[in-house]
Amino acid sequence: MGPDPDEDGFGTGTTGETIPTDAIIRGTDVVKEYETGGQVVRALKGVDFEIAPSDFVAVVGPSGSGKSTLLNLLGLLDVATSGDVRLRGEDVSTFTDREQTRKRKETIGFVFQSFYLIPTLTALENVEMPRMLDRTPTKTRERATQLLERVGLGDRLDHYPDELSGGQKQRVAIARSLINDPDILLADEPTGNLDRDTGDQILDLFDELRRDENVAVVTVTHDDYVAEAADRVVTLIDGRIRETESRRANFEEDAEP
Amino acid sequence: MSWLRRITGRFPSIVIARRNISRARTRSLLAAAAITIGVVAIAAIGGGGAAFKESQLDRIQEQGATNVYVSPGFDKEERHFDRTDLMRIEETVGGAGIVATESRSMEYRLRADHRRTISATYLEDPRLLYEVAAGEIPKSWRRSAVVSHEFAADQGLEPGDRIVLAPEADEGEQTEGRAYRVTAVLAESAAFGVDDVFLPIEETGDRTYSQVRITTQSVDEAEAAATSLRAEFNGRKDKLLVFELTSLVRLFRSIVNGINLFLAGLGSLSLLVAGVSIANTMLMSVTKRREEIGVLRAVGYSKSDILRILLVEAAMLGAIGAGIGIALALLVVLAANAIFLGSPFAFTTETLLYLGGAVVFGIATSLIAGAYPAWRAASERPVEALRG
Repeated sequence: MGPDPDEDGFGTGTTGETIPTDAIIRGTDVVKEYETGGQVVRALKGVDFEIAPSDFVAVVGPSGSGKSTLLNLLGLLDVATSGDVRLRGEDVSTFTDREQTRKRKETIGFVFQSFYLIPTLTALENVEMPRMLDRTPTKTRERATQLLERVGLGDRLDHYPDELSGGQKQRVAIARSLINDPDILLADEPTGNLDRDTGDQILDLFDELRRDENVAVVTVTHDDYVAEAADRVVTLIDGRIRETESRRANFEEDAEP
Repeated sequence: MSWLRRITGRFPSIVIARRNISRARTRSLLAAAAITIGVVAIAAIGGGGAAFKESQLDRIQEQGATNVYVSPGFDKEERHFDRTDLMRIEETVGGAGIVATESRSMEYRLRADHRRTISATYLEDPRLLYEVAAGEIPKSWRRSAVVSHEFAADQGLEPGDRIVLAPEADEGEQTEGRAYRVTAVLAESAAFGVDDVFLPIEETGDRTYSQVRITTQSVDEAEAAATSLRAEFNGRKDKLLVFELTSLVRLFRSIVNGINLFLAGLGSLSLLVAGVSIANTMLMSVTKRREEIGVLRAVGYSKSDILRILLVEAAMLGAIGAGIGIALALLVVLAANAIFLGSPFAFTTETLLYLGGAVVFGIATSLIAGAYPAWRAASERPVEALRG
């Protein structure tokens, strides 16, 4: 029932030369500006970041501080105005739109606050969705079933989102984010719409995934309780990193199979 | 895993498009219905019109449009053809059959006080031109006459009766009548201008001909024969007067084609409206699915993937509408074929072209209408879409 042991997060997605670092994505002096209504807004004013395999990083800060912008840059949904962002040593600003999409597919998994499941698809089909265009229906179905079992929804494969609770929906969404074996899971307020107990289950699931699949988890949150579970908390205020608090990883103490 | 899933898994865009269409079933059906109306309009008008045209052309053909009539031209010294002329004409038109006739006006004398002018045709053998209904024509039919169906009915003639004919004379002049035995009555004919009485060519005395009829199998052959006759004889001088119905056929054809095309054009206006409806439906659908498309983009669907999925969706709407439309139009065309051409399955090439064209136009309209919404959805940045 467990994932393949050979999936260490580095096996996929590495093309071309790699520089000797174990960072998946690294940013140096990253600036991001937006233009809204003729006015230039500096959302990030020179930040450094680095995500390594099985990291659990929580990004906190008041709204408008640049958290979402940072997450978009990490997710290759956006490119920095200046500064250097490297995905496994490759400068992401040199990617074409097509390459960017492909790298995103290979490297990043997304989990959203409001799940964004497709209401007309079953849990299983929702998980398969990112791979549907790959024309490998048999392999995809096997993997999707495996992932739903992994997140504890093996008995809900054919349920539609309407028939699932909030926590179950988020677990479907997490399974979906894992279908392409990403190296990083980006979670935007993953527990924002969930109660505390359900949130706990999601955080436990993150720990399991980090341990078993070497997936790094980066989450943006308002929730101190989520931040406490992370082993690194980055506080963003007004586009700058104010504080980075490192904790000892706490998932190793868990005795989950 | 079922075989069906294995197959559909090969065409994910179609699977996704089908799902999206069935999501807003009413809206999709209404958009498809607009296409249906357009397709029915084009196919039914075009196909029915083609059947009508074909039936009218057949009728004209029966009226003798496959024939070419030749008479002496203005520049010919003698006002008639002789044997040499006939041979040259026959050579020129090649394989087509030629029948030379001489027409004269005659006086039909029933009693001394009852005279009537009729037109008589002198020729070798009436059976080359017409069918015989009653009686028979002997090999040598000297002093016999053949009468047309109409003339026989009018005058109450039957084979074996005697008729008296005299050459037409000027006022006051007296000519001698000559008696002929009616040997046969012709069958009714759809051709125009059938003379009343047919007499042996020997009766003219001098074997000259006023007209030559060239019989061909089709309008095109008739046209070719007429063209080569004009080229051969009417170089500098008009030695022949060539008369054919083909130009009339061509005129008729172009008029009907024009009307048909105009009506089908009106029909395609309804396809334009259908296009607007499809564009509207697709725009609504992509606006509603904005976040979902954003998620698809985030999880690795490229712009062209999104574009393709949405275009397949639009084409599928068009195909559904066109499919229903062509089924309805087929019923109309079957009825038109039955009415005009006698059999519901007497499809003309043109009808089939209109049917096929209507389907192609229907789907193409949907594709064009879907292009803008699809492009807009595909080019939206996922960051924007997911911001909500």
